[in-house]
Amino acid sequence: MFDNLQLGLETAISPENLLWCFVGVMLGTVIGMLPGLGSATGVAILLPVTLGMEPVTALIMLAGIYYGSQYGASTSSILISTPGDSSSVVLTLDGYQMARKGRAGAALAVAALSSFLAAVISLIGLMALARPIADLALEFGPPENLAVILLGLATIVSFAGENMLRSLIMAAVGLLISMVGVASGFTTARFTFGNVNLLSGLDFVAVMIGIFAIGEVLQQIHRGGDPPIRARFRDLMLTKDEFRRSIAPAFRGTGLGFGLGVLPGAGATLATFMSYGLEKQVSKNRKEIGKGAVEGVAAPEASNNAAANASFIPTLSLGIPGSGTTAVLLGAFVIFGLQPGPQLFDQQPDLVWGLLVSFFFGNLLLLILNLPLAPVFAQVLRVPYSYLYPIILFMALIGAFAIGNNTFALWVVFGAGVFGYFMKRFDFPAAPLVLGLVLGPLLERSLVQTSSMGRGNLLILFERPISATLTVAAILAILAPVLLRAVRRRRRSALTSEREEIRQ
Amino acid sequence: MIDRRTTASLLALAATGLLVLSGCSGNAQGGEGDGGSPGRNITMIVPFSAGGGSDLAGRAIAQGLEDVTGSTVTVENIVGGSGAVGYSDLLAKEGDGTTLLASETALMTLPVVQDVQFSHESFTPIMKVGEDYNIVVVAADASYETCMDVVDAAAESSLTAAVSGATGPDHIAWSLIEDQHDISLERVTFESSAEVTAALLGGHIDVAATSPGEIVGQLESGDVKPLCALAPERYEYELLADVPTGAEQGIDVTFAQWRGFIAAGGVSEEHEQYWIDAAREYAETDAYETYIEDNMLQPQVLYGDEFRRYLDEYRQQVEAVLGDE
Repeated sequence: MFDNLQLGLETAISPENLLWCFVGVMLGTVIGMLPGLGSATGVAILLPVTLGMEPVTALIMLAGIYYGSQYGASTSSILISTPGDSSSVVLTLDGYQMARKGRAGAALAVAALSSFLAAVISLIGLMALARPIADLALEFGPPENLAVILLGLATIVSFAGENMLRSLIMAAVGLLISMVGVASGFTTARFTFGNVNLLSGLDFVAVMIGIFAIGEVLQQIHRGGDPPIRARFRDLMLTKDEFRRSIAPAFRGTGLGFGLGVLPGAGATLATFMSYGLEKQVSKNRKEIGKGAVEGVAAPEASNNAAANASFIPTLSLGIPGSGTTAVLLGAFVIFGLQPGPQLFDQQPDLVWGLLVSFFFGNLLLLILNLPLAPVFAQVLRVPYSYLYPIILFMALIGAFAIGNNTFALWVVFGAGVFGYFMKRFDFPAAPLVLGLVLGPLLERSLVQTSSMGRGNLLILFERPISATLTVAAILAILAPVLLRAVRRRRRSALTSEREEIRQ
Repeated sequence: MIDRRTTASLLALAATGLLVLSGCSGNAQGGEGDGGSPGRNITMIVPFSAGGGSDLAGRAIAQGLEDVTGSTVTVENIVGGSGAVGYSDLLAKEGDGTTLLASETALMTLPVVQDVQFSHESFTPIMKVGEDYNIVVVAADASYETCMDVVDAAAESSLTAAVSGATGPDHIAWSLIEDQHDISLERVTFESSAEVTAALLGGHIDVAATSPGEIVGQLESGDVKPLCALAPERYEYELLADVPTGAEQGIDVTFAQWRGFIAAGGVSEEHEQYWIDAAREYAETDAYETYIEDNMLQPQVLYGDEFRRYLDEYRQQVEAVLGDE
């Protein structure tokens, strides 16, 4: 392995490769910040530009766009509540709350630091154990994926807090919206009303942009607009306390993101939600999460980056993409005459290891780039909202159009925006809706697949050890908070009655 | 060291950035009259998102046409409705010779299974670039050695076949095999060929039919075993030359995903001929050969009316399988 590392280092450190790595992560950051323009589109658009380069240089740059965009996407979520892509939706919860409290700089810094931590740890995992982990990931067939998704849905309970009913309603709305379009595994179109634009469903990113960006703008206008945040430059820095509180969540997020990122299908978005849900259960500050806690930024952002790196495991060691963007990257491999597949590590060691080592440099560059820029970006919020929201609207609509060069997305954005406004006004939480929306198609697909595999019998879920374990875990995750609360209540009443006895 | 190529790439990158920023799709009102050319600015619609198989095909064809005609061919991904939105967009360009579309089997399946306003007859077929036949594959440790083994086993007990998409060419191929041999396979529908491959490697499904280009890595490493190619002739690629055709094993089914490009309906004969000539020229280039070989297609090219007749026949096969579902 150390020979390989040295080989990779020699490749990655050449000035040309370093330069393109830098260009890649810079472009990625910008692409990530723009809502709608995700990393998959970014890589595909810039692929032709790289055709004149050495394959390894080109792949270093294209991969840089991928993980660079993970850093960028969090910025717009935190500052203007407009997620750059689906895996940074969760950051609009605590990240945006922090920004409204004048802690935008801290939120951005935590996002950058936890991204970097996650990237380095997951990179080590990727280098050391790619093949065994990839083989393990293959054990996850449709029933196992179904079980993972059930576990993901179970995290809704942890989002809910006191708003259980409202959360469940919003999760159901999310699932319902995800039903629009052709049913997975069949040819029947549902809820399309004869409109061809709806055949593949409502675009997730368009709905997100509507609910978060437009909904927030409408809400701000309704309230008369928050006053610009008057924070001194010094106050925008991360405090020691915030730094300390972020460490454990970042590690937990990394672990979860790495695990889910390896699975083709489930991926980064689910990881961010599950790690957020996990923090709500286990963090010391769990009461604060949702109101602008640094833990609610560190954990999902770490899991997001870990998942992005982990998705390279099946991509490089099996030739099976772990995410949408790695699928595009595999296309790039073919264009460069490289055959992705199980033999890539053996046939192209300098390329694979050069690429992997470049991830380290790329992430380091991103950290150096993002940390000092965090307070600078945060200055955006000092602009009065009346100047800010036209820009947000403009970006949101450009982003929506960019998804498919299709004006229908604009109507989706407007519709979702009005819906998002009423959600905010009547205090319906957005997170369960997003989770339902993300998981709906995955749930349906793996449910239909599992049912086909079991010839119509879903008990196949309990016949396989991994899926059985995960399903039981999902059931426990739903029941545990309820049970815990009951136990606590009983203990408390037992304590008070004891005290009363003593008093008597 | 930073050499000239790097500088060139940087410049190209800056140029692309400008193009992207200005949202320039360069709509076409070009000079008429040089050899029947419809204009200098051509749009190639790709009805699927950037980075997928259709996009790669569209960009390869666009580049090829650019080289042989000297026009600018801009790729525009118009995405939505499983391809229906892009085709509908071309439908609205009736008579416009400057808009092309990178087409594939969705043109044939969408009108059969969905309520859309177009069929292949709404457009002007220009060139079928190549065919992507399916090969039947199983996991390396499976006991089947031929496609007939799979058919026999399916007659005995229920087997699961992974397909990518409920209307994909692999689904249609299996349906044709089922009809011919009076068997029935339990379909497990995945979203992409990559997911099918993963399910096959993990041992979650019994058998799959997939494009060779999608599984070449696993074929090389020996993780999957090819049983037969559902093609009229054996492949010439070294890796696949030993794989017998279905017909050699008693399964007389060939069904392919085709790729090609079409123009809008109602374009003038002059423009149709212009594009067919350009396509013929493109088929002679190295770029064409590279595209075909990289993706392991069979270079069975058809132009204009021949392509149209091929599509008429194809439509009947698709209707026979998907029409009554």
